[in-house]
Amino acid sequence: MMNTVQAAAAEQVLPIRPRSEFWRGALDGMPVLLGVVPFALVLGTQAAHKGLSALEVPLMTGLNFAGGSEFAAIALWTSPPHILLIAAITFLVNSRHLLMGAALAPFLQHLPRRKVFAALFLMCDESWALAFADAKRRARQGVRTPFSLPYYLGISSGLYLAWICFTTMGAMLGPVLGNVESYGFHMAFPAVFLVLMRGMWQGMCAALPWLMSLIAAATTYVLLPGAWYVPAGTLAGLTTAYFMAGKK
Amino acid sequence: MIDLTTLGAILLMALVTYLTRIGGYFFLRNRSLSPRTSAMMEAAPGCVLISVIAPYFVAKNPADLLALALTLAAATRFSLLPTVIIGVVSAALLRHFMG
Repeated sequence: MMNTVQAAAAEQVLPIRPRSEFWRGALDGMPVLLGVVPFALVLGTQAAHKGLSALEVPLMTGLNFAGGSEFAAIALWTSPPHILLIAAITFLVNSRHLLMGAALAPFLQHLPRRKVFAALFLMCDESWALAFADAKRRARQGVRTPFSLPYYLGISSGLYLAWICFTTMGAMLGPVLGNVESYGFHMAFPAVFLVLMRGMWQGMCAALPWLMSLIAAATTYVLLPGAWYVPAGTLAGLTTAYFMAGKK
Repeated sequence: MIDLTTLGAILLMALVTYLTRIGGYFFLRNRSLSPRTSAMMEAAPGCVLISVIAPYFVAKNPADLLALALTLAAATRFSLLPTVIIGVVSAALLRHFMG
């Protein structure tokens, strides 16, 4: 909704109208891109503090390109890292992509499979949400192939480049900041995570699984050594969600 | 500059994430998920994130607990950067003054 308004406003203000679909996407993605920059900088800085180099950080953010899972992986990062724990956490944080891809599938039928597989590599919450809303809008207007691949690529390639650039910048800044920040820096993780969760907030009832996760994870953390508290907490939350869905 | 275990972890993360990206298109497109499965998938990211930061909620240091409460309050109304700054500064100050 907002993007129609923004695009319309931009077309009136800018003397050069965005001609191609790619630039329409890049323009629509701009506000989101600006919002992503601080996350990228904080992630890069945190990763540097966990000992990742300024080469390893862009490798992770460029190949994985899913912020939530990268924050979780860095929070749990040890030297050497627990590879299986990190892979499992990555899957759980990113399992929502399965739903997103399934929802998008009907709109992708006109595209050859190799293009779809390449395009899906860049699918993140923001590019999905904008392109999906755009496709639904164009479908209502009667466009025969409502999903615009260049529009989607315009959004996602901008986000992709920004994510890699600013996480790398954060990784290079991290060691410089090292001595300046004294003790309070550990609070950056809960700060980021709580802001991410506010973005997912869908009311008290939907947050009940989170509360159960918190209780179970905190209890496990107090009682057991190691990182068992993460799978224990996650499992408690998922079980809660499972039973809550059964009640409706 | 690139550690082998780190590289392994990164490659596995990348593979897992890519599979979640193409998996929905490939396997779920002609299928309807049960309400339970979709409810679990919707709740999953939040459950993982809160579990990862759960240790902060049972910190032994009262200064850290107070700083977490301030961070939580900040997260409900501010965007990322102010929230991080409030969290970090309050933790540093409270630790300094409360010990």
